[in-house]
Amino acid sequence: MRGIKTIFKKELADHFSSYRFLILFALIAMVSLITSYMVGLDIKENLEEVAKPRLVFLMVFTSRGAFLSLVEFVAFFGPLIGLILGFDTINRERNEGTLSKLLSQPIYRDSVINGKFLAGAATITIMMVSIVLVITGLGLNLVGVVPGLEEIWRIVIYLIISIVYISFWLGVAILFSILLRSIATSALAGFAVWIFFSFLLPYGADTVARAVTSDVGQRGPETIIRQTRIQKAITLISPMELYTDATATVIDPLRKTTRSIILMGPMERISQARFAGPLPLGQSILVVFPYIISLIAITAICFAISYTVFMRQEIRSL
Amino acid sequence: MSRKRFAWTALVLIMVLGHIFFQHLAAVYGQEKEEEEKPDRLVVMAVEYPGVVVPQEEDVSMDIIFYNKGKSDETVNVEVASVPKGWEARVKTYRFTITGVHVPSGEDKTVTFEAEPDENVKPGRYEFRIAAQTPDRKFKMAETVAVTVKEKEEGKKESKGVKLTTSYPVLRGPSDAQFEFSVEVDSKLNEDAVFDLFAQGPEGWDLNFKPSFEDKFISSLRIQANQSKTVAVQVKPSMLAQEGEYPVNIRVSSGDAKAEAELTVALTGTYDLEAGTPTGLLSLDARQGKPANMSFYVKNTGSAPNNDIRFMSFKPENWKLEFNPETIPVLEPGDLKQVEVMITPYEEALVGDYSVGVDIQGEKASKNLEFRISVRASTAWGYIGIFIIVVVIAGLLGLFRWLGRR
Repeated sequence: MRGIKTIFKKELADHFSSYRFLILFALIAMVSLITSYMVGLDIKENLEEVAKPRLVFLMVFTSRGAFLSLVEFVAFFGPLIGLILGFDTINRERNEGTLSKLLSQPIYRDSVINGKFLAGAATITIMMVSIVLVITGLGLNLVGVVPGLEEIWRIVIYLIISIVYISFWLGVAILFSILLRSIATSALAGFAVWIFFSFLLPYGADTVARAVTSDVGQRGPETIIRQTRIQKAITLISPMELYTDATATVIDPLRKTTRSIILMGPMERISQARFAGPLPLGQSILVVFPYIISLIAITAICFAISYTVFMRQEIRSL
Repeated sequence: MSRKRFAWTALVLIMVLGHIFFQHLAAVYGQEKEEEEKPDRLVVMAVEYPGVVVPQEEDVSMDIIFYNKGKSDETVNVEVASVPKGWEARVKTYRFTITGVHVPSGEDKTVTFEAEPDENVKPGRYEFRIAAQTPDRKFKMAETVAVTVKEKEEGKKESKGVKLTTSYPVLRGPSDAQFEFSVEVDSKLNEDAVFDLFAQGPEGWDLNFKPSFEDKFISSLRIQANQSKTVAVQVKPSMLAQEGEYPVNIRVSSGDAKAEAELTVALTGTYDLEAGTPTGLLSLDARQGKPANMSFYVKNTGSAPNNDIRFMSFKPENWKLEFNPETIPVLEPGDLKQVEVMITPYEEALVGDYSVGVDIQGEKASKNLEFRISVRASTAWGYIGIFIIVVVIAGLLGLFRWLGRR
């Protein structure tokens, strides 16, 4: 345990003092500040006609300002934080020869990887919490609405999911830095994975769905539903999709499903509009519980793979 | 030329004028001649209707006319000379019973003969003799009035002086309705009179008289001689009235003149349903694709039985609603029946609140219930998820133990 602590402290100190982190943090802070400011102005305008708005505060996180809402921003660029923090964790030490020196100290090998991962996760946590706090403060100022208890809980759960999500990408980066000797290669591999899941997979899924469903004649609602289902099933491989779906209902209580297209009859619509209202927090979480579980599981599995590979690797030979 | 025309005009004018003059002269002369033909004294008595037919117990009244055709004024003594048994007869004016009448020359005078039977007068022919003579007994006159009394027709109870008629003596309706009879009060009196209005109905009922087309309650009515007026009788049954026929008697009177009429209100009973849940709770939790049970009661709060009560539902598509029992054949007043309803949301229903309406349709009354169905997310995934997390963490710990401390 002492070994982990030492590594953890050292890594954290390294993270916070590195220029890389400073630049990253400055970038993220700037973007989030601008985003929340835009969103604040936007909400003010939007709420002018609404008689009795509900759960206004969460709109700070979900509504789009100039380009992206905060939730979308984290979904897209959160992986980058994780990748940048972790792409050279192990192979830099190895290339500089410090890894064998480190292990000649009375420090166990698992302490190294555990400590490094925990330090990365802690950095991510500090980063996310501070961003959310900054936005919350700005939101309080701009919108002038105090969040209720349920809203605070939703924000907290959103934070936890986000940290897990970014930690997954950190785990991916660490895995690549263990597997690949070259720093540049491991960085590139991480980015490739990110680009694949973020940009290529959605388009690929769409193409596959269109190809699978017979596109003969008119596209009825059933065909469209089938297509979106296939597309959804494919994109669910992507942790980004898992994260977006999981946070969507948590941060937006009016969202009742993760499906993007719903087939709804007129009676059903009337029946539902009768009591149109936000879902209770418990229900929102239950709807996306499988997503949250999957996210946590893949993070853990990813780390477990890195751990196994690292523990069984020959280190002193180099 | 002009002179000749003037002569013609003058001639015509003279002829016309002369003609008019002679005619006038002839008329005046003729009149004088007629007057000259009048006797010194001549009094004639005439009875208006020498023979009448009346129902039993009905009064007889008619005019006796005296004509004075002589040159001098005359006084005539008049009396009813013979009266059949059981009758009372007199000669009167509008105010007094009289024994004599003065008839000025050239005029005529009308007095009234009245005969009143007592209760024992049986149907048959009765003769009255009315005798009149001048005090000097120069003129003696006698007339016979034959009154045929007919058997009274049953149910034809028409009182003298005022008559009540209504076009719709029976009204039907539910017991919470308000009934309005229109009654015509026909006054046969020779003078203006104020009639008192009375109404009597079952206990607890609200009976009021109203002028037609006016919204105020009245208890008396002024009617001019020989005129008629329409009044409305407003009947409000008691809240507790059962179905059936109820008589409402109305009476109009002014002094001796009175009339009665019987109106009938036929109550059909009210139709009213009440529905709700025993706890008063109209919300229900359900899971997608899983049936949820709920029971509600139907109560007949009307006063008539409600037949064949059915249930209709207003629900989202693909949802299932089953009622047990499906129909209630008969629900007596005050009765309460419980109905089980099984609601199955669609398997792909969204989590959230849905409105499901149940229309309880009786034969003559209906009631609507709205339920709020909260579709809940399945917690099965929650347990599976927790299990997965536990497995993953256990796996990680096992990995730490297996590979750690190297």
